[in-house]
Amino acid sequence: MEAFVDNSSALIDELKAIVGDMYVVHEPEDLIVFEYDGSVDKALPLAVVVPASTDEVSRVVQAASKRQVPIIARGAGTGLSGGAVAEQGGIVLPLTRMTRILEVDVENRLAVVEPGLVNLDLTNHVSKHGLYYAPDPSSQKACTIGGNVAENSGGPHCLAYGVTTNHILGLEVVLADGSVQWIGGKTRETSGYDLRGILIGSEGTLAITTKVVVRLLKQPEAVKTLLAVFEEVDDASAAVSGIIGAGIVPAALEMMDRLCLQAAEASVHAGYPEGAGAVLLVEVDGLSESVEEEAAEIERVCQAYRPIEIRSATDAAERERLWAGRKGVLGALGRLAPNYYLVDGTIPRTKLVEVLAEIGRISERSGLPIANLLHAGDGNLHPSILFDERNPGETQRVLEVGGEILKLCVDVGGVLSGEHGIGLEKQQYMHLMFTEEDLAAMDKLKPAFATNGMFNPGKIFPTGASCFDGFQAGAIARTGAGAYV
Amino acid sequence: MTAGDRNSARQAMERVMGSDRVSNDVAGHRIADATPEVVVFPESVEELRLLMAEANQSGLAVAPWGGGTRTELGNAISRLDVVADLSRLNSLIEHNPADLTCTVQAGIQVAALQGVLAKQGQFLAVDPPLPGRATIGGTLATGVTGPLKSQLDHPRDLVIGMKVVQADGNLVKSGGQVVKNVTGYDMARLHIGGLGTLGVIAEVSFKLTPLPAGEATVVATFATGREALDAGLSITRSQILPLALTALDSEVNKRADLVPASDSYNLAVRLGGRPLTLKRMVAETSELARESSANTVETLDDAAAKTLWRRIADFGWDDRPAPVMAARASVLPSMVPELVESVGRSAASSDLRTAVVSHPGFGSVLIFWFAEDEGPSDDACLDALSRARDASHTAEGRMVVDRCPSGVKSQLDVWDEVGEPESIMRQMKAQYDPKRTLNPGRFVGGI
Repeated sequence: MEAFVDNSSALIDELKAIVGDMYVVHEPEDLIVFEYDGSVDKALPLAVVVPASTDEVSRVVQAASKRQVPIIARGAGTGLSGGAVAEQGGIVLPLTRMTRILEVDVENRLAVVEPGLVNLDLTNHVSKHGLYYAPDPSSQKACTIGGNVAENSGGPHCLAYGVTTNHILGLEVVLADGSVQWIGGKTRETSGYDLRGILIGSEGTLAITTKVVVRLLKQPEAVKTLLAVFEEVDDASAAVSGIIGAGIVPAALEMMDRLCLQAAEASVHAGYPEGAGAVLLVEVDGLSESVEEEAAEIERVCQAYRPIEIRSATDAAERERLWAGRKGVLGALGRLAPNYYLVDGTIPRTKLVEVLAEIGRISERSGLPIANLLHAGDGNLHPSILFDERNPGETQRVLEVGGEILKLCVDVGGVLSGEHGIGLEKQQYMHLMFTEEDLAAMDKLKPAFATNGMFNPGKIFPTGASCFDGFQAGAIARTGAGAYV
Repeated sequence: MTAGDRNSARQAMERVMGSDRVSNDVAGHRIADATPEVVVFPESVEELRLLMAEANQSGLAVAPWGGGTRTELGNAISRLDVVADLSRLNSLIEHNPADLTCTVQAGIQVAALQGVLAKQGQFLAVDPPLPGRATIGGTLATGVTGPLKSQLDHPRDLVIGMKVVQADGNLVKSGGQVVKNVTGYDMARLHIGGLGTLGVIAEVSFKLTPLPAGEATVVATFATGREALDAGLSITRSQILPLALTALDSEVNKRADLVPASDSYNLAVRLGGRPLTLKRMVAETSELARESSANTVETLDDAAAKTLWRRIADFGWDDRPAPVMAARASVLPSMVPELVESVGRSAASSDLRTAVVSHPGFGSVLIFWFAEDEGPSDDACLDALSRARDASHTAEGRMVVDRCPSGVKSQLDVWDEVGEPESIMRQMKAQYDPKRTLNPGRFVGGI
């Protein structure tokens, strides 16, 4: 991308003419805040341009296309796989000025919003109508709907209600030639290939989303949260299978292991009992009768696995207290080590016991403590490798251990990412799951959308010739001191 | 096509597949008006690969075939040499009850799969017409749905992984066998509703749903369609989350011998849950129906409910006298009553009788046109379809024509207008099937 530097001042002038001087950042010292997202990766963009409308996005894309300068669309930068890092330079395009809610159709339970709208702001806005937006990534106070669309984000409550793709009806997008198209609309079905389904989760590589039609759900009339404490993580894992096996798909089914509990206890004083080795947090919602019946069944299942204690709550404040440990745990891990590296993978739910035991062995072998928090209900693991980047060579060991865990996930029939995306973080592991033919088929979407390499280049797909040998090499090379999750 | 070509299609297939995989029974494998030269029955995914590679190389056009229940769907096929009948690719590869997942070959019949799943107290929330014939691959490829709606509401939301044989014979996979996955592009989406024009669905992994602890079906009758639909919408806006909610006009009731057989308009609501939950849902559903002026409200016994839902799902596609035309519209839920009324008004001024099945909560309206006496003229058919399509557009949706006379088909795009994204769709075809081997001409805009 060095070649662009010569032309960059003309480009910067053109960009300023489109969005206004204020909204083009190009001095190196100002660009630093945009060189990273929530992941370990970093790269300095050529410029940051913050558009206010679809029209401005379209014109920025045209200006960049003319000079073959790539564009990296960005939401709040909370992504955990390096998706918003300008690895090959180019223009970072935060959509955070486009935050309007354009329409709320209460009757048909949908809303039309701009991509920069913060996830939780949408739910807050429509709650007066008894509605909410279901996907709730842990970063929902900060992350944007557009970012969620790019990453096909999940969250604790996607177990029963599905991930982002299950809640999006239509998208307005800007293509690489600057043209604006509607993909899908307000109805459940549209004719032709499901381009909407292809775009969601495409990590900003095919088009830039400028409007989103989302489905809204009715707020449930009742919610009940149960917290079950077990001595051993195996018992908690078995209880997870027991609950699913009993024909219950709770709204959320979360799990934390001993190390997480210690951290949470020290930090938010969650009040976990002595000897707690694992905690399950189960939430059911719906009709009040259904909530009571399912909660009773869940409690019955848990009783079979020798719980130390089971607590439950229906009122909001009390439920919030049960969730406090889970919600605070990532921050609390900072008490155990200066840095942690959060791994994301999904396995078949029935492999939980086996995989957690193996992660324990990996931890012992590597000498690196690993705290496990899991969206256990859908088998989505988040092992967090604790370390201190000041110890020479430790960062590299951490990435190797992360790779070992991902390989383990794939070996038991799982996948590389449940909800964080591939981005830069995991592109070198894609060969663990996919053949060259599989990847070539995926890569053909780019010419089909005529992206011309303009959008978020260098993401998702493995780079370099021998990606498989020493697959961590790329990630390690890019890892500098600093921002761990 | 000349006799010489025919021989070459047959010879090419026999050479790579063996003669016992190749059949002359072309009459039973027609795609609308087109007859293939040969029907081939691959018995493994590897054989399907060989079939496609050979066809693609030899310039033969292939139509994938599931249970043969929707062979009229699509615009007219422009070439047809080989029908690839997947009925022998019908294994349940894996069912993991504790994971609520399964993986099947595309040719498995829907009813056969549901039977196995039910033994473990689970089901796949997909109920196309004629499940004893319809296959999983065909159901996904045609995008056909039934009354049953899970929490996630569409079969595409239940697919977690897929293997596809591409036009060039390459086998490619996407997704996996787990319920939450963002590893790579969600390629299965291209093939669900893609009518086998970008590849042949070979294997599919699904997330499953536990069977409800108990079920009940409430049927309410109304004097007008508007009342039935209003009742339906008020139930979908309540806290009740039905497994299915379907409004039937009086013509459907008459033709399908539904209970109660009368001149009335019916609303059928299928509910599921544990005992107290179910009791509350039945009571509240009945109450909402009464508030919307229902004449009668009753709860069916299990056997009657089963028959009712089967007849609703199969309506228009079963052995009863077939409609001349069938279409499915997807519109804003709040606009369903207007669309249904508009269709009724147009029918009143023509020789065609309409029967309408609607799932108002999802904005889904199925319209069937029956001929009174002899077959209606193409002009009359085209007029009826155009009016219904215009009404669908007014309701901010669109309408796909599932069946119509071939003289009508040549005068419209059965898939409706796609608008600007059509150029991307054409590029998709150019990327994945550049030689137009798969179902040429049948998809949107003659793709």
